[in-house]
Amino acid sequence: MNLQLLTALARGGVVLGLVLLAACAGNGEGLDANGNPIGSGGSMSTPLSADFESIQENIFTPICSVCHAGGSAPEGLRLDAANSYGLLVGVPSTEVPSIMRVKPGDPVNSYIIQKLQGHAAVGAQMPDGCPTTQPCLTATQIGFIQQWITNGAPPAATATAAAAQSAPLAVTSIVPDSMESVSAPPPQVMVAFNHELDVSQLSTHSAHFEKLAPGAAPLVMDQVPARISVSSANLRALMIWPAATLSAGHYRLVIDATSSNQISDIAGEQVALGAPDERGEAVISTFDVEVLP
Amino acid sequence: MNQRSLLAAVTIVVLLLLRAAPATAEPYLAVMTGYKCNVCHVNPTGGGLRNDFGMTYAKVLLPAETVDNALDSWNGKVTDRLRVGGDLRTDWSRVTAPNSPSTQAFSLDQFRVYADLVILPDRLGIYVDEQIAPGGSQNEEAYVRYGSTTDGFYVKGGQFYLPFGWRLQDQTAFVRQVTGINMTTPDKGVEVGWEHSAWSAEFDLTNGAANAMTGSGYQATTQVVYTKPIWRVGIAGSSTSSSAGDRRMGGLFAGLKTGPIAWLAEGDVVHDDSLERTLVAGLLEADWRVLKGHNLKLTAEYEDPDRAVRNNQETRYSFVYEYTPLPFLQLRAGYRHYFGIPQNNQQNQQQTFFELHGYF
Repeated sequence: MNLQLLTALARGGVVLGLVLLAACAGNGEGLDANGNPIGSGGSMSTPLSADFESIQENIFTPICSVCHAGGSAPEGLRLDAANSYGLLVGVPSTEVPSIMRVKPGDPVNSYIIQKLQGHAAVGAQMPDGCPTTQPCLTATQIGFIQQWITNGAPPAATATAAAAQSAPLAVTSIVPDSMESVSAPPPQVMVAFNHELDVSQLSTHSAHFEKLAPGAAPLVMDQVPARISVSSANLRALMIWPAATLSAGHYRLVIDATSSNQISDIAGEQVALGAPDERGEAVISTFDVEVLP
Repeated sequence: MNQRSLLAAVTIVVLLLLRAAPATAEPYLAVMTGYKCNVCHVNPTGGGLRNDFGMTYAKVLLPAETVDNALDSWNGKVTDRLRVGGDLRTDWSRVTAPNSPSTQAFSLDQFRVYADLVILPDRLGIYVDEQIAPGGSQNEEAYVRYGSTTDGFYVKGGQFYLPFGWRLQDQTAFVRQVTGINMTTPDKGVEVGWEHSAWSAEFDLTNGAANAMTGSGYQATTQVVYTKPIWRVGIAGSSTSSSAGDRRMGGLFAGLKTGPIAWLAEGDVVHDDSLERTLVAGLLEADWRVLKGHNLKLTAEYEDPDRAVRNNQETRYSFVYEYTPLPFLQLRAGYRHYFGIPQNNQQNQQQTFFELHGYF
C-alpha cells in the first residue's frame, strides 16, 4: 500500500517537475504591459504624472495589485483599477485607523505615503520586501503620488482640471517636504502646483535658495542660484536644481521678485502663496539640511 | 560523558519519546527528517518559536560544527513556563530588470521575537510573534492555545497564520503570493487542530483579508497532511465569502526524500470572483544536503495569473546555497531569475542576494 502510494507520489512529482521545468513564460502577444488583453480598457500607456489614471496604470496596477487585489488583498485594500480609488481616498487605514489612507490635500498625513516612505507606525515599507526582493518606489514616483494628493486626490484627470482651475494657483513642496530636515544636501527639489503651468512664460532662472540665520526674524546669510524646469510629462511638477551644493543650514526656496517672468498657469494666473517674505518675494518652501560629519 | 555526548543522547531520547517527527524552520528539513511540524515548533502548524527538540536540532544536527560553550545550555526557556526566541535576517541584494536602473542595497529583512507562556502544561498557553523591524513594530501572531498539540485536539483563538501548503521561508514564492497565504498575512479567528500518529489536520474560521474593512463575511480554511518517514502528502482548501467577491482555493502538496535530496512540490488553483479570474501556481523544489550544514536549494515555479488570458504566464527559477557553520548562524547566497511577458520589465527581473541569518 505504502509502496504504491510512494510510487504514485514519485510519478506525480516527476510529472509536475517536468511541467514546471518545461513551462515557458508567456510571449505577451496581444497583451499590454500589465498583462491585460489589448483593447480591454486597461491599456493607456501614459507616462507617469500626478493624475490618478497615470498613477493607477504605472504604479498601482503593475506593482501594488500583484498582492493588493481580489479576495486576499492585505488589509482589504484592493488596488486594482476597479477598486483602488474607492478604497484609498478618505478611507481610514486598518493599521492606524486615525490616519486616512489618502487624505486629500495632505500627503504628509496620508498613510499611503508613510507606508511607501517606510516610516509608518505599523509594519514594513511597501512594496513589501523592498529593497530585497523588488525595488522600492523612487522619490520621484512617490512625489507624483504626493502631488496627486496635494491636488485634492481627484478621481480623474478631467475632474482634476475642472476642479483645479476653479481654485487659486497654489504650490506645495514635495521633495523635501516643507519644514523637513534632510540628512544630506538635496541634489534637486520638487514642488507641485495645482494647475498646469505656462512653460512659455517660465524663466529657467526665476528662483533661488536662501540660507537663513537662526532666529525669529529671517536674516539671509547666503543666496544660491537655482535652475528650474517643468517636466513635459507633468506640467504641474517643477524641478529646481541648486547651482552649488547646499551646506548645512536652514533654507527657503524663493521665486525672484525681480524676475520679469513670474510663474503662472496656462490661464495667466500668477502663483499666490499667502504672506510674502520681507522683500515681497514668494516663498515656496523651507527646509533644513543637516550635513553629517 | 561530555556535553556533546549528553546532547546527542538527549536528542535520541527526545526522538524516541516523540516517536514521530518534527519539522520546519524550512519545510525541506521536515521532509529530510520525516518529522511533523510540531516536533520542532511550538506552533503545531510550523514556523516561529522552536521547542526543546527544535532547539536541540538547531544546535546539534543542523550546523556544520557544534560548539561547546554556553549555547549548550540555552534552550530558549527563561523560566519553566516562559520560552523566547527570535530571528534576524539582514542582507545585501541587487535587483536588475530590463530597461530599468539596477538597484542594490543593504537592508534589514526582518527581526522577529517570539514568546510562549505555558499556563497549564500541555493544555493552555499564549503565543506571540512580533515583528520588531524593519518599519514599525507589527504583531504577526498572538493567540491563546488550548489542548494538546502533540496528540489529540487543540484550539487556537486570536491572530495566526493560516495553514495552506508549504510554509516556505520565501514569502515571494508564486504559490504563496497567488494564494495570499504566507507569513506576512496573518488572520484573526479560531483554529481547531488534530494531531494523531501520521495525521495532522486543521480547520480555521477567520475574517478573511478582504473583510478587514467591511466585516461582510468569513474565510474557512482546512488542511490535512499525512506524514511518513520519507514522504508526505497534503491537501488544502479555502473559501472566502465577502461583499467584495468570493474566493475559493484548492491545493495539493507533497514531499519526498531520495537519499540526500528532499523534494517539495505544490500546485494551487484559485478562483477569485472579484477579479473574475482563475489563477494557477506551481512549485518544485529540490534541497540537496551536500554536507552537514550545507544545503543547495533549487526551485522552479510557474504562475498563470489568469487562465482565460493566453500568453501571460510567468516562471521563476532560483538557486540558493545555505551554509550553517555554527549553531544559530546561517549564511545564504542566492540568485533568482523571473521570466514573464517581454513588455513587463519587472516580470523579467533578476535578483542576487547574500543573507546573514541569526536565530535563537
